Amino acid sequence: MSEASKGSQETVTFTLNDREITVPKGTTVMAAARQQDVYIPHFCWHPGLKIAGVCRFCLVKVDNRPKLEIACNLTATPGMKVSSVLPEVKEAHKWALEFHLVNHPLDCPICDQAGECKLQDYYMEVGKYKSEMDRPKVLKPKALEIGSELVLDTERCILCDRCVRFEEEVTKTGALGIFNRGDRAVIGTYPDKKIEHNYQDNLVDICPVGAFTSRDFRFKQRVWFLKEKPAVCPGCSTGCHVDVHAKPQVRTYFRLKPRESEVNGFWMCDKGRKTYKHMNQEQRLRFPLLTEASGVRRRSTVDEALAALAATMLKADKSEVALLVSAAYTCEEYAAFFEFFVRSLGVTNVYQWREPTEDREAFDGLLYRGDHNPNTRGLSEALKAVGLPGEVKDGFEALLRQAPKLVIALGPELAFQFPSLPAQLSRLEQLPFVSLWTIDGAAVSHVGLKHLLPMKGYAEKRGRFLNFAGKVGELADPFPAGSEDARDVVEVVAALSEILAHSL
Amino acid sequence: MAQDKPRIILRTAGLANPRALKTYIEHAEGYTAIKKVLGGAMTREQLIEEVKASGLRGRGGAGFPTGLKWTFVPQSDTGPKYLICNNDESEPGTFKDREICTVNPHQVIEGMVLAAFAIRASKGYIYTRWEFQAEIGYLVEAIKEAYAAGFLGKNILGSGFDFDLDHYTGAGAYICGEETGLISSLEGKKGQPKVKPPFPAVSGYLGRPTIVNNTETLANVPWIVNHGAKEFRQYGTEKSPGSKLFSISGALVRPGVYEVPLGYPFERLIQEECGGYLPGRSLQALIPGGASAPLLTPEEVQGLTLDYEAMAARNTMLGSGAIMIIDDRQVLAELLKVTIEFFAHESCGQCTPCREGTGWLNNIMDGVLDGTAKPGNVELMRTVAKHMGGKTICALSDACAMPVTSYVQKFSGSLQAYLAQATAAGGHVK
Amino acid sequence: MSVFDGGLKAEIEGFLKRYETKRSAILPVLHAIQDVHGWIKPEHIEELHTVYGLDRVHVKEVITFYDIYKDKPVRRFQIRYCKNITCHMLGARPAIARIRAHIAALDAVQGEDGAFSLEEFPCLGKCDGAPVMLVNKERVEHATVDKIDQLLTKYAPTVLR
Repeated sequence: MSEASKGSQETVTFTLNDREITVPKGTTVMAAARQQDVYIPHFCWHPGLKIAGVCRFCLVKVDNRPKLEIACNLTATPGMKVSSVLPEVKEAHKWALEFHLVNHPLDCPICDQAGECKLQDYYMEVGKYKSEMDRPKVLKPKALEIGSELVLDTERCILCDRCVRFEEEVTKTGALGIFNRGDRAVIGTYPDKKIEHNYQDNLVDICPVGAFTSRDFRFKQRVWFLKEKPAVCPGCSTGCHVDVHAKPQVRTYFRLKPRESEVNGFWMCDKGRKTYKHMNQEQRLRFPLLTEASGVRRRSTVDEALAALAATMLKADKSEVALLVSAAYTCEEYAAFFEFFVRSLGVTNVYQWREPTEDREAFDGLLYRGDHNPNTRGLSEALKAVGLPGEVKDGFEALLRQAPKLVIALGPELAFQFPSLPAQLSRLEQLPFVSLWTIDGAAVSHVGLKHLLPMKGYAEKRGRFLNFAGKVGELADPFPAGSEDARDVVEVVAALSEILAHSL
Repeated sequence: MAQDKPRIILRTAGLANPRALKTYIEHAEGYTAIKKVLGGAMTREQLIEEVKASGLRGRGGAGFPTGLKWTFVPQSDTGPKYLICNNDESEPGTFKDREICTVNPHQVIEGMVLAAFAIRASKGYIYTRWEFQAEIGYLVEAIKEAYAAGFLGKNILGSGFDFDLDHYTGAGAYICGEETGLISSLEGKKGQPKVKPPFPAVSGYLGRPTIVNNTETLANVPWIVNHGAKEFRQYGTEKSPGSKLFSISGALVRPGVYEVPLGYPFERLIQEECGGYLPGRSLQALIPGGASAPLLTPEEVQGLTLDYEAMAARNTMLGSGAIMIIDDRQVLAELLKVTIEFFAHESCGQCTPCREGTGWLNNIMDGVLDGTAKPGNVELMRTVAKHMGGKTICALSDACAMPVTSYVQKFSGSLQAYLAQATAAGGHVK
Repeated sequence: MSVFDGGLKAEIEGFLKRYETKRSAILPVLHAIQDVHGWIKPEHIEELHTVYGLDRVHVKEVITFYDIYKDKPVRRFQIRYCKNITCHMLGARPAIARIRAHIAALDAVQGEDGAFSLEEFPCLGKCDGAPVMLVNKERVEHATVDKIDQLLTKYAPTVLR
């Protein structure tokens, strides 16, 4: 331990499947294999949890030792020869699978895990296709509502103990135990107690089978139809790296899963898991809405909406214009926005749109922060870059006191993180002209807002967020927008800029 | 062999008040060994060497060299260390440790003080299974007497050596007889064995260096200290020196616990100590070393001597020295069911091959008894057993697999016949 | 208001101080509770948690793992009859059947107040006295079928003849 802290790392070189590998001293064969992209089949091992060594699946042959050993608890020693592919090892894997299937129910047709189930995967890889078990199976309780986000099926559980370790080591809530002995062993909470923290869905992620499934995702979609793309969660300033899962052909998002990174390790919180619903058809603002001079509100094309906004901008003096900006947009969007409105057009009234009840310094000790925006730092930097103060207090109240003739507002992306939003939108309705750029469909109910422009969701654009510590989170591989009229701020500013250039 | 019947362990048997401290001191060299060692006549290193030289092997079933095990404790670690007496005695057929507690508990305590001194442990526990209520009482009483006499506690006999001994009662789980299962239980948890490495000698109870020794093993140590390794080796064989308590039961005139030298002829134990089989009964099969030991046929029992090597040569084990006579009136299918059901009931459930394998075997065996199993299922049990071995954290999986294999290997005819009859009858045969 | 009376409370607190960790006390504490109440009630577990900080899940795991702890009401005389190898060979089955018959007859009259319960149990470690049973904490050897009627009446009246 002291060696490592001095900076000199002792290493060990050993052979895995005929390939020489060098790893830091103390690395297990399993961890080494993972680093080298060599896959040793396993259930109970997880790089984010302590070693359990109970599934007995990751057996490997070591030198000439007569007994196979488990790779997860095997520290690599110099010159060690390890194989996970010898016939003897493959035979062992076959029976390791057989034992796991002895009492496993044939739920595949109704189990959400199908398509991403380790038992299914190993069944195909390991190739013991004919089970020799022909006796009645042990039955256990199914479909238990064990947490607000969870459904537990104890019969499908293979007792890998990952969930128990997660509760003990990660959330430190210890809500799960394994009761009874032998094949009567069953996973569960203390009777009538539920799992109540903000990290429940990680249990679904780490469960190799369909024992823990997500209530939100239950029976919604077969996973082999889903596409996944990397993104950064917009739920708070931590900026967990995530994968967004969607079925683009039907413009529908289904779920998020954490992506391993040094920002969030292996986990994400349940609040973040919900940051896909707002991009679905029933929740998002799908097309622009204009209120005519007559007071009639109608749907318009994007071109019409932008022309109307440009016309209104031309009639206003820059001192009568205000920008109301939430911290949900990318650095690139802020750069374009402020370059246009502040630098080119000389607007100086810029207000930050924040949730008044937020406790920005709050932190739950794990991942979730009280700043429910993904890019507060980015916004701050962008403001400073155009010579404005990076921090603006009481943004919303100050804007109302100014009573501007024209407000251009970049609305918060996640309405559910902004409890005061409906009240704030109602107050904005009192102003003469607010152009609200937002993805939030609920804004439609505020009929006094005369100009609504649909925005792309975070998973639909390219750009960067800066998290609370200033680390960059990349949005590099967007899905096609769920609505054809949706735009991002860069695109809108470019179009406005075009229109205004031609009219001058 | 020197003296025929060694009296190393049950030295106070037959005396009035055999358990009393006074009896132990007056009739069994009571606490003279710790006087010798703590008094300085024997150093810690010499003590360990003497026990190593004696060839004393773990008497609980594993047969690991005791002195060698003690050396695995890293002496560079100066923090707390623990010495634990495994008095969980749950291997079916075994009842010798309870005999020691009933007849001569002080010798166990003295053995513990010596072992603790050897590994520099300052705290010890005797872990006894709950079902031994009377025996627990005897031990607690003996511990009290030892404290009162100054053989336990701080600065024992003015030597500067501290050793505190407490009793801890189990709660009905065979797996707590496995040393790391016992440690887990002592920690207030389910008695689930721990993944190794790390080994208990390095990281055991509460992560501290811990040695777990069987009751009988510890009871040997005072005698070895007083009489020396050489005299110990006069009993037994070259590779299995010393004496052993054998628990022998079944259709015998005098079943019981007998202390005989290792290497003692099996037939002699039956005829002399046990008075022969019950009238009209004969041997159908022998379980030589507890429920986990592979069965022996009468042919294999010919010329059998009770030592580790003779057992190994017959592909079975001496184990805890629990001998069970399966007489000719017994139905082997029923005994196999009893055996399998035991392991299925006792599997802690951690490791998949054991949890599912013991359950599966039990399931198949139910089918053999009620006739619902297929004829090929008897042979299938052997296949399942084969894959249960050598794959798990502890040896319970092997302990179930080995007897199953031997039953199917040696008595498959009997099992198949039972199944055929049960199927035809549409229910249990008897 | 504690669910543990004075003596039991003192015992529990004694155990909690006795070992290096509080958790190590779980087994002896549960034994102490059972010695008084016969079984572990939910309110016992609740108090062990709220007053003494013992984790409920840990306690429940221990209760369900070990054979001795009961989380449902028990009868006055709990019979644990060994059904392992030697006891099986020397007459456990007929004796167990006889005991079951007695219990059925008694329960027909006394219902939940029936004096006896029967659990088939793993090896009790006294095979030279086979067949062996435990009645609460007392070991009874040579409990063959012909002796059962007489043995049971030592503890409570029976109705079966």
